[in-house]
Amino acid sequence: MPSPSSSATRNPFTEAETPAVGVALEHLVKDFGSHKVLKDVSFAVSPGEIFVLMGPSGSGKSVLLKQIVGLEAPTSGRVLVDGRDAIDPATREQVRMALVFQSGALFNSLSVYDNLALYPREHRVASEAAIREKVMRALQIISLEDTADKFPSELSGGMKKRVAIARALVMEPQLMLYDEPTSELDPVTSASISEIIATLREEYHVTTIVVSHDRDLALNIADCIGLLIGGELIFNGTPAELRASKDPVITDFLNPKIDLKNPRFKKLAT
Amino acid sequence: MKQITAILVGFGSTIQLLVRALSYTATLPRQWARFIEQCYLIGYTTLPIVAILSFFIGSVLALQAGYSMADFGAKEFIGTLVGLSMARELGPVMVAILVAGRVGSAIAAELASMKVYQEIDVLETMNIPPARMLVLPRLAAILVMMPVLAIIADLVGWYGGAIVAKYTHAIAIDPETYFAALRHFMKFKDVVNGLMKAEVFGFGVVLVSCNIGLNTSGGPREVGASVTKAVVVSLILILVADYFITDVLQQIFP
Amino acid sequence: MNNAQQTARVGLFFLLGLALVWVTFETLSDGKLFKDRGYTVVAGFDDLRQLKIGDEVRMAGVKIGSVEKTRLAGRRAEAVLRIDPDVQIAGDASATIVMSGLIGSNYIGIDLGTRGTAPLQPGAEIHTSVTPDINAIMTQLGNLGSKFDSALGTLGDSLKGKDGQPGLFQKLDTLVGENGSKITATMTNLQEVTAKLNKGEGTMGKLINDPKLHDDLLATVDEIKSAATQAKTFVADAQTIIDQVKSGKGPLGTLVFDETTANNLKATVKNVRDVSDKLARGEGTLGKLINDDSLYLSAQGTLKKADRALDGLDDTGPINALGTVAKSLF
Repeated sequence: MPSPSSSATRNPFTEAETPAVGVALEHLVKDFGSHKVLKDVSFAVSPGEIFVLMGPSGSGKSVLLKQIVGLEAPTSGRVLVDGRDAIDPATREQVRMALVFQSGALFNSLSVYDNLALYPREHRVASEAAIREKVMRALQIISLEDTADKFPSELSGGMKKRVAIARALVMEPQLMLYDEPTSELDPVTSASISEIIATLREEYHVTTIVVSHDRDLALNIADCIGLLIGGELIFNGTPAELRASKDPVITDFLNPKIDLKNPRFKKLAT
Repeated sequence: MKQITAILVGFGSTIQLLVRALSYTATLPRQWARFIEQCYLIGYTTLPIVAILSFFIGSVLALQAGYSMADFGAKEFIGTLVGLSMARELGPVMVAILVAGRVGSAIAAELASMKVYQEIDVLETMNIPPARMLVLPRLAAILVMMPVLAIIADLVGWYGGAIVAKYTHAIAIDPETYFAALRHFMKFKDVVNGLMKAEVFGFGVVLVSCNIGLNTSGGPREVGASVTKAVVVSLILILVADYFITDVLQQIFP
Repeated sequence: MNNAQQTARVGLFFLLGLALVWVTFETLSDGKLFKDRGYTVVAGFDDLRQLKIGDEVRMAGVKIGSVEKTRLAGRRAEAVLRIDPDVQIAGDASATIVMSGLIGSNYIGIDLGTRGTAPLQPGAEIHTSVTPDINAIMTQLGNLGSKFDSALGTLGDSLKGKDGQPGLFQKLDTLVGENGSKITATMTNLQEVTAKLNKGEGTMGKLINDPKLHDDLLATVDEIKSAATQAKTFVADAQTIIDQVKSGKGPLGTLVFDETTANNLKATVKNVRDVSDKLARGEGTLGKLINDDSLYLSAQGTLKKADRALDGLDDTGPINALGTVAKSLF
């Protein structure tokens, strides 16, 4: 199992030091009206680590991601990214974070190339020639160089997710977050996405937080796994510890039995 | 109470958006390409419908006024009536309504779908403020394009009126007489007055549409709701603002 | 579409807008980029009526400037006219306020003046003349009506007799008795006179409805004048008769029993009534004229002509003559 040997590495794009950052959640609570989505969640992710947050649908995983990148303010508690409060707009200027959305969230009005080039162009980090080099390199990593001039509407779901990852990569992020990167994909494409995520961490030592309910992904690439059920973090440990757990809720989540004689929806009804 | 709160929240967020967008004014030169693209969409592609509509508004004005003014022997003044109404009121208001329907709805739809499909969130995480990239070029474009659309609407409306006045049997006023009457009672400031109104309306429509689009929440269904809301709010804004702007301009430039 | 093309179209579009604004500006402010072009002259009037700032100044129908200012100066009203710099106004040219519409648009008309006269200097005062106001014309027409009324009343009273005085018939009784044949001749004359007057009045009424007939009016006025002359002759004749009656010549009864004479008298009275009836109708037509806009343009010309005709009537009209006839009879 690879673990980060140092908290800093050389970035292949800028040849500059881009230290990976740590993330810490402290007693995070989020309500939507009377509906409590997150109930006192706390955990920490070390720099350069892959943390996979698992949990059933509707357990508040995506909401948690938005708290980490500062898109939504928590009701109470706080999120620290590299020691700074995530909701402070200045944090986003200091720490480069990239969030790969479930749908990819590519800019539909822009070509794949322009999608990738948007960040460096807007932030004027390089000349147009250098940007071109960067973008093509990122597309190469996800093996989609020939889609550069296509528009998002012409891409398949898996390609969109890979392009979204490439777009995040061009940002040279210190923190990468993936929201359900393998959902709605076939097993082979899912595996390829998992490989890409692991490889990126391997090469660039970027801190990675993945929200997923994909067991294969979690058990194969995670350094650390959190299990979020009903807005509460009921497990936080290594994949080996997770496998070894005897907690019935955890074993049922990992290896649910399909019991046709005694289906779950009937249990819930009674 | 809830509705009042909603209206106040709408006002507040619109003002905030405006302030944020204006704080990025210095970035406008390097957003030149986006500005030109918006100018093209807002101005150039809106021209045909503006021309057609204002032609017929001018025509109808001349026709209606012609029949009634002929009854008391003042049909020589049709030019004055059409000219002043177009320049001071109908030109700016109709262009603004068209802009609300064509540009405002498009802006609201585009930004709302960007919001719903999380593109806005991506921009936020990329530290690219939507106010800078999406709102500012549109506001700048409408400021430049609105007077152009309004002056075209004025002139096309005048000519529409002139043609109807000449070829309608019961009116039969020569273009010379028509334009003499138009010129006789009109000052350039009447036209400027109208252009200023158009400017305010257009700016308001774009700002409101941007804000409503960016504040969409929920699924794709909400995109349609946001478009409707943007158009309705724009129309209300235009007609309410019209009253007050007219009043203020009348005081400032009597 | 590539970027350059889009930029070009937007640029073109914007330039089009600028051009249109400039054209509008030039048209509406007469290119008055330099505001005070030209020079001013002052025109003084008793009454500026509905003249207002911005109204045109025309010389022989051509626009040469506009009214810049209106003001009261002592006992008169002054209009300051801004005249285009390349236009010269002859020193003896005269300015009038001309009405170009019933609902109040006016302009100042300046005639060409005499050739070779020294032109007006900037700031100089221009001669003015007054054209009759439409209100004044209306008043005159109204007065005319009451004059007709009083004249006819006097004539009627004279015929019937009033306040215990012996009436015309009584007096004529004597008169005719004494001078049967002469009176018959005189009455025939009188009948002719009133018949002619009647015809004249008919033309007058028509005139107001039909501007084409205005030329006839002049002829009619002449006719009326000659009628008046005849009436004067009649007065002289009547005077003679009265003298004869007073000196007691001839029997009075003859007149009443003479059928020819009685018929002549009836015809005369009928003619006089017709005159007044038609006048009443004529006034109705005038009222209508003001409301009927299809006649409005021709009305102006017609009214001026009517005014001219009325001036004639006022001075030596047959109305006064008729009044004189009746009064001087007794």
